Amino acid sequence: MGRRVGTAGSVVVLIVALIGCTPGGGTDEAGLVWAIGGAEAQPGGVHQAIAERWNELNPDTPVRLEVLPEDADGQREQQALELQAEGSGFDVIGMDVIWTGEYSENGWIDSLEDVRDQIEGQSLPGPFESATWGGELWGAPYNSNAGFLYYRTDLVDEPPTTWEELKEVGMAVAQENDMAPFVGQGARYEGFVVNFLEYFWGAGGDLYNEDQTEVLFGADDAAMTALDFMRTSLEDGFYAPGFNTAQEEEARTVFQEGDAVFMRNWPYAYSLIEEDEGSPANGNFDIAPLPTFTGEGTISALGGFNNAVSAFSNNKELAKEFVVWLSTDMEPQRMLGERGTPPSLAAVYEELEGDPVMERLGEVLPDARPRPPAPEWNQISSTMQRQLFPAYNGEADPQAAIDAVRDYLEGTIE
Amino acid sequence: MAGTVTEQDRRRPDAVPAGGSGPGKQQGLSERALAKVFIAPSVLTMAAVALFPVVYALVLSLYLYTRRQMIGFGGLQNYVTALTDSRFWDAVQFTFVFTVTSVVGEFLIGMGFALLMNQAFRGRGITRAAILVPWVIPTVIAAQMWFFMFNVTPGFINNLLGLGDYPWLGQSGSATAAIIFADVWKTAPFVALLLLAGLQTIPQDVYESGRVDGAGMFQRFFYITLPLLKPAILVALLFRTVDALRVFDLPRVMTQGAFGTESLSILVQEFIVRTPNPGYGSALSTLTFAVVLVVGMIFVSLLGRDLVIGEGD
Amino acid sequence: MSTTPVPTDEAQRRAPDRPAAASGRQGTVERRSTLQKVGKTAMLGVILFWCLFPFFWLIMTSLKLGDRALNSPDLFQGPFGLDNYLAVFQLNFHLNLRNSAVVAGTTTILCVIIGSLAAYALARLPLRRKILLLSGVLAVSLFPPVALVPPLYEVWRALGLLNTYEGLYIPYIAFTLPLTIFILVTFFASIPKDLEEAARVDGASAFQAFYKVVLPLAAPGVFAAAIIIFVLSWNEFLLASTFAPRNPEIAQTVPVAIAGFTGAVPFQRPIGTITAACVVVTIPMIITALIFQKRIVAGLTAGGVKG
Repeated sequence: MGRRVGTAGSVVVLIVALIGCTPGGGTDEAGLVWAIGGAEAQPGGVHQAIAERWNELNPDTPVRLEVLPEDADGQREQQALELQAEGSGFDVIGMDVIWTGEYSENGWIDSLEDVRDQIEGQSLPGPFESATWGGELWGAPYNSNAGFLYYRTDLVDEPPTTWEELKEVGMAVAQENDMAPFVGQGARYEGFVVNFLEYFWGAGGDLYNEDQTEVLFGADDAAMTALDFMRTSLEDGFYAPGFNTAQEEEARTVFQEGDAVFMRNWPYAYSLIEEDEGSPANGNFDIAPLPTFTGEGTISALGGFNNAVSAFSNNKELAKEFVVWLSTDMEPQRMLGERGTPPSLAAVYEELEGDPVMERLGEVLPDARPRPPAPEWNQISSTMQRQLFPAYNGEADPQAAIDAVRDYLEGTIE
Repeated sequence: MAGTVTEQDRRRPDAVPAGGSGPGKQQGLSERALAKVFIAPSVLTMAAVALFPVVYALVLSLYLYTRRQMIGFGGLQNYVTALTDSRFWDAVQFTFVFTVTSVVGEFLIGMGFALLMNQAFRGRGITRAAILVPWVIPTVIAAQMWFFMFNVTPGFINNLLGLGDYPWLGQSGSATAAIIFADVWKTAPFVALLLLAGLQTIPQDVYESGRVDGAGMFQRFFYITLPLLKPAILVALLFRTVDALRVFDLPRVMTQGAFGTESLSILVQEFIVRTPNPGYGSALSTLTFAVVLVVGMIFVSLLGRDLVIGEGD
Repeated sequence: MSTTPVPTDEAQRRAPDRPAAASGRQGTVERRSTLQKVGKTAMLGVILFWCLFPFFWLIMTSLKLGDRALNSPDLFQGPFGLDNYLAVFQLNFHLNLRNSAVVAGTTTILCVIIGSLAAYALARLPLRRKILLLSGVLAVSLFPPVALVPPLYEVWRALGLLNTYEGLYIPYIAFTLPLTIFILVTFFASIPKDLEEAARVDGASAFQAFYKVVLPLAAPGVFAAAIIIFVLSWNEFLLASTFAPRNPEIAQTVPVAIAGFTGAVPFQRPIGTITAACVVVTIPMIITALIFQKRIVAGLTAGGVKG
């Protein structure tokens, strides 16, 4: 028996070694590799469709998608592995808006200053800002994203314009209908920082001053207003149960199941709720700009992707051409808009006015603010999460938390 | 009767070795050489693959970094920073609480499963397969699944037990409990498997003589089964403990480390991947390694004597 | 241990199949039997529920179609269908299954071979400083895996081992060897020395003593180790997602593929396809485990073991 197992084993190993595996297709010397992830990078998604369009227009220099994971962290990890090792496997990098500073600091991407004038003024200001760091342009804005207030039209006539109003209306309506007033993203992750910043900016706050020489966070009462609002909301039941473990999908589920009157979420949820005929919200909801504390204007956090050129690419000139095309040409940007992904090109929004989401985005995006794409953004975000999350959950002192964040931010500008 | 078996074996033509080695010095030499030959491939593989990253991390931990840029030699600075950071000690606390509770739970439940699987009854095969199901599901999927079950939305467990809106994952204490539960569910079968294999090498006549001597069921368990099972128990405990000390996937997916559920491995991953600082991250991983190593060594010294020096003679 | 100098193999073989009730004491036997039966059935029910309920949830969720059903806490809310399974295979999941099978299979076979040799040496053969070696063996597997990744990645890249089967099963073998060796050392050590000595006296070399006497008797341990190695390498995520992150047609394994599933729109968590893939993966695994399980028992029944 032992012998038979032994021989069988060696035979299998031999066969396996022979089958081995040949590392698949090498670098396309004439073409480009575009490393981008998410649902739209899959076959059938809009990124693939856009790549195919480029290939039709430029058959000699085709582009191939290298599909990265769905979540931003996973995409960043895989890009980091390749770029840190100085590999030439990726030519164009799909960067989340908050990675600009980090990638440029690590020397992973090339400056796009020489094509800046082709892009500036064409892209919306928010996305453009998110692609610059240290005064230089590092990425070409590609698609964008902003947060919205979803509300039930059968329960609320007019979307509120201040958070206090929203709280009043929400609590009253929710009580009558046995629902929760509001749901957003309150779990301890980047989404929480986004939600917090929307309150914070809505209270007139700012992290740094204009040229980033001074820390404004905690210097006025905007931070406390925001943090207090979140803390009391959780206590009073303004926030739906499960708010503090909710990410985008959990929030959508609560609203879609008819358990919340208001929701803060990205535009992606719109089509999903619209298509779901069994949902109490279906046919009874609409989107509005997020309220502020001052009642003036609106503010929302900016999301989305910019395309950068890898510093280790063998096809830099072609890559630059490609990212500029993606950013400023009407065709790819229009395709994005038609497929429900907010474009970054300002001109496209005029064409998309028939679509309610795109129309609303066109209104909101000029006021959408990027998180500072500083190299230390991950650290800042992590600090904010660790300090402010327990504070709004009532497990830490709010003022101490704000001070701790302020101290950290001051450390970043020294 | 054993003698007959070996004689039969002896009489089989292929059992007689071509170059039989006689007793004495020659046998001694070939034994020692054989031992070295036997152990060489393992040592080589492990040294080549696993040793060098440890050394690499050790060296890296001696340098100071700002994000990914090295700014100088720091000596033990990173270690000092880590050991004086309350975040590190919070992680240690959670990791130890988690380890002790889940290993005890897994052991008790695993032992129960093993004893049951060792019995003969109808449907034994199906039960054995069923018991393995939790363990064969990939951890990341199981973590997702338990998140789904415990989280207030969609509130599966709350629905089942009629608990309304109980925020399992949204507060300290219950978050830890949920993670421990998920881990016990998932790895009790692994412990059961190890213990079952051990149970099946205990010869039946040992129980027979015990019964003949008048020992009841519990007495047989405590005085016969447990001592004979000791090596298997120690191995199971050893590996479950060192694995539990490095728990990562479950708290990461279920709570992202919030509400006091940040384990040592999550902390390490934070500084290696999310907010990279190669020097500090390596220091944290070396510290984690040290903690796990000490615990492991305690078990090995308990185990080693039994295994290597004799079978309890 | 036992009263006879060498335990009878037949007695050993009888072990797992005999019910615990003693013979000869009729009255007590009946009472004990009924109580035991009831107790056992109750325990069985609890165990089956504990293990299978989440799996049942997996199956039900994988059959659900549409957003509404998938996000609902009600297990039985339809509509139901096999769309998720179709979607899974459209993503070339069968290639992932192939990759995982090759990697896990190779790891298991090689690890068992290399590991049993080392375990035998540690248990039986003269070797200096065994405890030190055991400790070293253990220490190897203790480093936090996430910290191993950056240096290993660099070396693998330099050696061209990224996106290959070898690049996966070599580290897998290295990291599962400690557990294998430990399990097998306990089994080898528990086999009485007399058997081997008898064989050696009869003229067998040390290697043949190992092959023909010890290995067959340690069969339960070997098969337990084999199942464990197989499942561990199959489910391994961290190294696989670093060394073979994409490309199912080359070497991407099952857990990495599942983690990469996306919904139709960004942020959407495709719980339908994830659970479907999970079910597809679990069923063959259970069958494999069942087969190995039977071998553990068969290995001890009469005629299954020589010597």
